[in-house]
Amino acid sequence: MTTRTIISPLQLGSRWGKRVYWIVLVTVLVTFTLAFVFPLYWMITGAMKTGEEIAQMPPTFFPANPSLDAFLEAWELFDIGTLLRNTGVYALGAWAFTMVIDVTAAFALSKLRPMFGGLILGAMLATLMIPPMVVLIPLYVTVVDLGLLNTPWAIWFPAAVNGFNIFLLKRFFDSIPRELLEAAEIDGAGAARVLWSVVLPVSRPILGVVSIFTVVNVFRDFVYPFLVLSDSDKMTVSVGLSQTAGQVTQNAIMGGLVIASIPTVIVFFLFQRHIMAGLTAGSIKG
Amino acid sequence: MLIADAGTRRRAHVPSRLGRSIRRNLTAYGFLCAALACFAVFAWYPMVRTFILSFQQTNLIDPPTWVGLDNFRTVVDDPAFGEAWLNTLEFTVLALLCGYVVPFGIAIVLNELRHARAYLRFVVYLPVMLPPIVSVLMFRWFFDPGPGLFNQILGVVGIPPLAWLDSTSTALISLVIVSTWMNLGSGTLIYLAALQNIPGELYEAAELDGAGVWRRIRHVTIPQTKLILLLMLMLQIVATMQVFIEPFMLTLGGPENATLTVAYLMYQYAFVYGGNYGAGGALGLMLMIVLLAFAAVQLRLNRQDRP
Amino acid sequence: MQSNRRALALLLIAGLAGPTACGTSSTPAAKTTEAGKVTIKVSCQPAKSDPRNRKVWDDDVAAFQKLHPNVTVESTDQQPCFDPKTFGPKLAGGQMETVFRVPVTNTQDVISKGQALDISGLTGEVKNFADFSPAVMAPYSAGGKVYGIPTSTYSVGLVYNRKLFTQAGLDPNMPPKTWAEVREAAKKIAGIGAGFVGYGEYSGGNTGGWHFNQAIYGRGGEMVTPDGKQAAFNSPEGKAVLQFLKDLRWSDNSTGTKLLVGWESLMQAMGSGKTGMMLGAPDVVPDLVNKFGGQIADYGIAPFPEAKASLSGGEGFMINPKATPEEAKAGLQWVDFYWTTPGQGAFNYERAKTIGNPVGLPNNSLFGDSPSGKKIAELQKQHATLPVENFSPFVEGSAAVPPKLEPPKAQELYAILDVAMSAVLSRKDADVDKLLTDAESKANAVLAKS
Repeated sequence: MTTRTIISPLQLGSRWGKRVYWIVLVTVLVTFTLAFVFPLYWMITGAMKTGEEIAQMPPTFFPANPSLDAFLEAWELFDIGTLLRNTGVYALGAWAFTMVIDVTAAFALSKLRPMFGGLILGAMLATLMIPPMVVLIPLYVTVVDLGLLNTPWAIWFPAAVNGFNIFLLKRFFDSIPRELLEAAEIDGAGAARVLWSVVLPVSRPILGVVSIFTVVNVFRDFVYPFLVLSDSDKMTVSVGLSQTAGQVTQNAIMGGLVIASIPTVIVFFLFQRHIMAGLTAGSIKG
Repeated sequence: MLIADAGTRRRAHVPSRLGRSIRRNLTAYGFLCAALACFAVFAWYPMVRTFILSFQQTNLIDPPTWVGLDNFRTVVDDPAFGEAWLNTLEFTVLALLCGYVVPFGIAIVLNELRHARAYLRFVVYLPVMLPPIVSVLMFRWFFDPGPGLFNQILGVVGIPPLAWLDSTSTALISLVIVSTWMNLGSGTLIYLAALQNIPGELYEAAELDGAGVWRRIRHVTIPQTKLILLLMLMLQIVATMQVFIEPFMLTLGGPENATLTVAYLMYQYAFVYGGNYGAGGALGLMLMIVLLAFAAVQLRLNRQDRP
Repeated sequence: MQSNRRALALLLIAGLAGPTACGTSSTPAAKTTEAGKVTIKVSCQPAKSDPRNRKVWDDDVAAFQKLHPNVTVESTDQQPCFDPKTFGPKLAGGQMETVFRVPVTNTQDVISKGQALDISGLTGEVKNFADFSPAVMAPYSAGGKVYGIPTSTYSVGLVYNRKLFTQAGLDPNMPPKTWAEVREAAKKIAGIGAGFVGYGEYSGGNTGGWHFNQAIYGRGGEMVTPDGKQAAFNSPEGKAVLQFLKDLRWSDNSTGTKLLVGWESLMQAMGSGKTGMMLGAPDVVPDLVNKFGGQIADYGIAPFPEAKASLSGGEGFMINPKATPEEAKAGLQWVDFYWTTPGQGAFNYERAKTIGNPVGLPNNSLFGDSPSGKKIAELQKQHATLPVENFSPFVEGSAAVPPKLEPPKAQELYAILDVAMSAVLSRKDADVDKLLTDAESKANAVLAKS
């Protein structure tokens, strides 16, 4: 673990070095906690304060009478139950579509190497260069033309249209030794069989990464679902929150935000290592 | 089905290379089919549609009419056009200063630390996992000039309150703060991974040459991570130039258009000014061209730099 | 061999299923089922968070379906049922209900873009159609054709918090009549304590420009020249609007320090009971009470100070241009049933009273002195739960004020004027003359097109 970095172990080990090191460490710990954890603490405790307390100046550090009422209120007002269920359905479908469509495509591009395969891969990766905002209006118009507004299809299909996933999967498949596949082929296995019983079992790590990102993205996405899911009982959590946030009290908003963050934060807790691995695997994704 | 039959039958009788190649291609395209169709409908066609849309007038109900360059004229003549581009550029530069340089610095420091590494990595990435709408609405409350967290903190330190989102001088930088907070984590972790791949011997050698900490960073760390740094620069530019959710949820482009971005103006054309999709498409096309130009320059530099 | 073939076949099916699913799974939004059966989608069902009114709505839907057994009504409950953020996308996407709500400010825009159905031949479905006054119908008509049915119409007044007036030592029964008095009152209310705002005003998301329009009309100014080709707001009246706000903000500090962006922002401030006054029509009051937690007894409405004219406000319903004739007919029957018949649906004051809704707001001059208008006035008086006398100054004071429609390209102009409004409210050194000159040249550029 202790690989050599900029500062040499010798320097670190010196009396002077140790002091500086501990000062830096404590500073970083305190700054990071204040910058990244304290806002969340403030949000959560904000939801536990009463309407008067939340607007009080100067504010209280701990809620005087912590109460969960704001969460209940937010649950009702935002109709979060429906929103979470919707988002869950969209995420599940998006995951299934990504698995079937992207995995098969990456497998074909990596192992079957068809004519124009390079061109196709290039065209798929090119979509990563086009920022989503730029094609937002034409994409919206296309979804309108197909009559997919306010249907899960409007989320599911575009979820599978992800050049980054194809890139990640293809790169991983590329690294699977040929011999493994050839052995299966000699046994008379067709391409589908090879994919199913040879490639997929050894690709668990990358499939995990792609799955997590797909699911998390459905929860995080805002602008596109905001446009294509305008029915209040079809919205995702993000869209629903933005729609109702102007009309409820401040502590109810905070309650709603806390509830809406729970799914992705849980995913992060459970799959931290996969997520960080995936992040650096392709070293892209802004 | 027929094709499949033909393929297998031919293979049975003529096990030629050509036959195998055809069969392999057929199988491959069988696998690719769904992805090709989806990419065509939801990625490639919308890209083409951007062009078409920018030369059309349409309300999505009646058949569209071709209007030549009218949409481009509308967009360029719009008094907000210049403002939007300037704001977007300013936002991009500020966001790069915060969102590009800072994570690299943080990654270098984190890489030196020997304790609490897991905690720090977890904490710095936590905001990235929150839905952006949560972060944005949370900051909306923090920015509140009255009971908002930021002015409260300033009050404790004895600094007079700031207007944050409500003043032309601070609105854009406030958006940069939100944006940086939300996105800092992914950059940091990517750099951290790159830093961990630098062979320790290089530092040892540099140290033997008498290079101090700063020179070690300049002559070892940066050259060793150059590829990823360049790639991230391009991705950051592309990501920040399309900034939308921050102005959309926090300022609606105000005050005095100080936070009107190109992406937000695009949205206004299409969805606020009663469906001017043509003008929205035209502005989108311009943004796309600018971003592609950036990407092209980057790729070129990238290639030249490679040994 | 066997497995090879099976795998290939499977793949082809999988591959082909993809594109077909991608390409043809479009489901048409409009649905006309078996012969004679019609399904219509109608907007404005009260939200789940308002169970009393939602139940009443559902009861009425059931009653309507009993009356018209061939019609199925599906309600949407998006609130507010006109939301400027989603209106455009929904309209464009054909997601608009068969019967959709349009504020009077957007009707001409919707008509000119072909986004509403011509219902000239179907007006008979609304039984008291003849009772609408021509002035009220004007925004819903174009080129001699009818495109919508108005359901309410308002003129702008001064909505104020009576409780805060009392707290500030002002007489709630003597609301300010001039701008000078508004300024004085605002100062006193802001003086109650920290967090109190005397006079709230919008400054972004097109609402700033919209209220600028209300204010300049009220002061007798114009937004555009009569031919609609040039801006006319760089005038003494326009300057007065901005200077007034600037004085309140920077000399008196009575407008609060927070910029109010988007419709909800001022409503929230007013609903929280700490903002004293705002420009608004009577329809603001039920929204404050039902959606923003305001107390009904706290609010009063005064006529617009020194009013010369009034930006017309109000709402109506239009029919989706993609609706079939049967759907359009059923839709208008619904409008007739719920929205325009005295004593029924929205005008069922007796029921409104029993479920605790405020009755007695001067909510309408829709039908004027026609039989329907008289009937409504009578019913309202009979079941009033509010001190109607609190609102009579508004009713009397507003009656003589001529209504005035929005200028062309209103939303574009509002976006331009947001800049001026946000400037005077956020910058102490804002130069009113320069702001208006800048806005004027921008507006001229926008108006020159078309």
